[in-house]
Amino acid sequence: MRIVRNTVDVTNVALSGVGGQGVLTLAEVLAKAAMLDGHNVRVGEIHGMAQRGGHVLCTIRIGEHAKGPIIDPGTAHLVVGFEPIETLREIHLVAPNGCVIMSSHILLPVAVSMDQGTYPDHDAIMSATKRFTTNVIEFDAMELAEKAGSPNSLNMVMLGAIISTELVPVTKDSALQSLYDTVPQQFQQVNSAAFNLGFAQVGGMLRL
Amino acid sequence: MRLCSLYHKIDTQSPVQALLGPVLHRAHDNLTKPTELLEDNPGKRILLLGNEAIARGVLEAGVRLVAVYPGTPSSEIGNNLTAIATRIPDFYFEFSTNEKVAMEVAGAAAVAGVRSMIACKGPGLNVAADPFLSLAYVGVRGGMVVVVADDPSMWSSQNENDSRYYALMANTPMLEPSDPVEAKSMLIEAFDISEKLELPVLYRTTTRVSHTRAPVELGPMRDRVSTVKFDKDPFRFVPIPSVAYKRHPWLLQQIEKARRISEETSLNYRIGEGELGIITSGVAFNYAIEAVSTLGLKAEILKLGMTHPLPERKISDFLQEHTKVVVVEELEPFLETQVRRVAQLNHIVVTILGKEQGYFPRTYEYTPRTVIEGLAKILNRNTPINWQQIDSKAEELSSLPSRPPLLCAGCPHRATYYAIRVATRGKAIYPSDIGCYTLSIAPPLETADILFDMGSSITTACGIARVTDQDVVATIGDSTFFASGLPGIVDAVYNRHPISVVVLDNRTTAMTGQQPHPGTGLTGMQEKVSPIDIVDVCKGLGVNYVRMVRPFDSMATLVSEIREMVAWVRENKQPAVLVSREPCALLAAIDRQQTGTPPHPYRVNSDLCNACKRCLHRLSCPAMYFDSETNKAVVDETLCNECGICAAVCPQGAINRED
Repeated sequence: MRIVRNTVDVTNVALSGVGGQGVLTLAEVLAKAAMLDGHNVRVGEIHGMAQRGGHVLCTIRIGEHAKGPIIDPGTAHLVVGFEPIETLREIHLVAPNGCVIMSSHILLPVAVSMDQGTYPDHDAIMSATKRFTTNVIEFDAMELAEKAGSPNSLNMVMLGAIISTELVPVTKDSALQSLYDTVPQQFQQVNSAAFNLGFAQVGGMLRL
Repeated sequence: MRLCSLYHKIDTQSPVQALLGPVLHRAHDNLTKPTELLEDNPGKRILLLGNEAIARGVLEAGVRLVAVYPGTPSSEIGNNLTAIATRIPDFYFEFSTNEKVAMEVAGAAAVAGVRSMIACKGPGLNVAADPFLSLAYVGVRGGMVVVVADDPSMWSSQNENDSRYYALMANTPMLEPSDPVEAKSMLIEAFDISEKLELPVLYRTTTRVSHTRAPVELGPMRDRVSTVKFDKDPFRFVPIPSVAYKRHPWLLQQIEKARRISEETSLNYRIGEGELGIITSGVAFNYAIEAVSTLGLKAEILKLGMTHPLPERKISDFLQEHTKVVVVEELEPFLETQVRRVAQLNHIVVTILGKEQGYFPRTYEYTPRTVIEGLAKILNRNTPINWQQIDSKAEELSSLPSRPPLLCAGCPHRATYYAIRVATRGKAIYPSDIGCYTLSIAPPLETADILFDMGSSITTACGIARVTDQDVVATIGDSTFFASGLPGIVDAVYNRHPISVVVLDNRTTAMTGQQPHPGTGLTGMQEKVSPIDIVDVCKGLGVNYVRMVRPFDSMATLVSEIREMVAWVRENKQPAVLVSREPCALLAAIDRQQTGTPPHPYRVNSDLCNACKRCLHRLSCPAMYFDSETNKAVVDETLCNECGICAAVCPQGAINRED
């Protein structure tokens, strides 16, 4: 058997957020969508202690030669941050020409409320992000999720945004199909509305 | 008033069973629908977590009995099996009381002659090590696989012990899958090997095998026998010294047969070509492949799927064909030591590189980067990415406010720990145990002072109470209490240790994904049975002070209950138990969702809030924050789980429930 050069054809996506925001669900929906489009995938996730309202990182790798689940620093084509400082926490993963999608809605860590740390201001967050890549797409995904009908649909807003960038080899149809396959029926309308709002939001920003 | 003292007959059935409803729904509440695992559709590819692939492998290998005690990163194996157990003909699944029990239940089934499996996390195998070593001596008649999930980087564990050494100590064959595809396919081979050798097979995964999702192709399923007849053979299966004396040479003979399997199996194979040799196993194999291709190296990899006994001839041939061989494996130099041994025995002149010279670390999980950097150092090359530069840029972000895991909003443990701190003014010693509640180590609760393993809260309390004159208040969860708290209670009663024990009874095994336990009234086969009540158990074991409290009823009562218990222990010099019973906040939230109960979150009346921050500083509830614009505390209504503890601690009475 031969080892083929295998790291060039793989698309790396890192999802960073807070436990409870639906990060793992988004990873599963996106991975299943990639499979519908005929791709090989790997998803890396951490369960248990790591999920109790703390920082969550989930990785998705799409491409024939994706083997392991892990994305090294400087190799993510897309970093998707569900919250500003959670985006910063994993920003080192982004490739120099990679893209960042960041929701601007802030979830204050308990440490800040207990006066054990200060939340950086918006300018500091943006300038720190841009030291890693200049391709930053920022919008309030929580506002769109609420508009769609539930703050719980935030992750599907992010899915729409991801597909809209065209950086991931997944079609819009497959993404929606995967959403319908995964989300219970009573929540499908809200979640597909959220998907479409995220898709349109990023589409509009990229056209500008 | 729902306080129950030992002098009153308490109604254990109704409140317990009233709390049971939500438990039924949670253990299998993960994303891939467990029923997909039942599909009789060979050739279909579905996205499976490594642990889900193992659960499917159980069906494809025709396993008759599976016993587990949940523990991350192994938990989803049991969660998926319990969800489908009743739909598999001739199949039995149980959540055992602990891993030792699981090993014995499964081991006996395999001795009787059916295929059986146990699954646990690394520290769980430590608990089950005693029967495991005996099982290797007596052997099994049906295939038996011991799945152990190690946790490099300690994402959810108290240590990162490398369970592979158990294969050496017990002298059992060992297989190490490297991804979800192998997690299923190698499990089926493990059962075949087990039956050929009549030995249990150790099946070792790690977090990044168990918790990676990948497309997995379904295979055909195999039927199971309904029952077998137990053929007696006491001079094999009862290892009294004279029997064990004969079984040890038998075991060594079997492991030599296993070595021949290891030489021939396609689980140990070569890939690639080049002067450089790499020997690897488990998830590190993926990183080795990625590193070789990223660096554009010419290298040959010897990928070992069967790592005990090792294929010594295959390794010796490989060493002879390469002048430089790098060993890539996570944690301890398990393979590396063996490879060096093979080289020495066969007088092979070869440079073996690995952890011994510091090229690879012995701590934490590997990444492709770990392997790329190790190989780059060995070959004196640059890495393709300037990671030092990225690291130093990331270093500048180190002042970001941290977001560690926390007790959930509405977690009943928060109320209990707050009360323990208030009642003891933070001055007692607080032995802790294994579960979500260990998170109380963090400020402001700070009620975890010592922890070894499951059940150690009670026994470490005994040791501390004997050599100090301080009050000792131990806390232990309900599932942990049944798993290994009972011997500690017996020790405390019989030896009259002056300790206060608070059992945090949240009606589930919360940390690992809401599995039932003997206190819940639900079995792994989804049968409703009589729950075992912890209050009754403690009384039955002879504890002379046992009370039950509902932590959300009244904070003042909760505090005085703890104060009274500690005072009683001081005066009577013997153990006391307080059961603090309230369902896990996640169960309560799901219950509300399922019954369509409209939310009634708490709210801060900003006219009354004087920004004292007592609620924030004393509770660290993730649903609360301080709004620096209005200078008031705020409850995030989307996160509030309606426990009301914030209202109880607010000196201004500014927090109230919405109507």
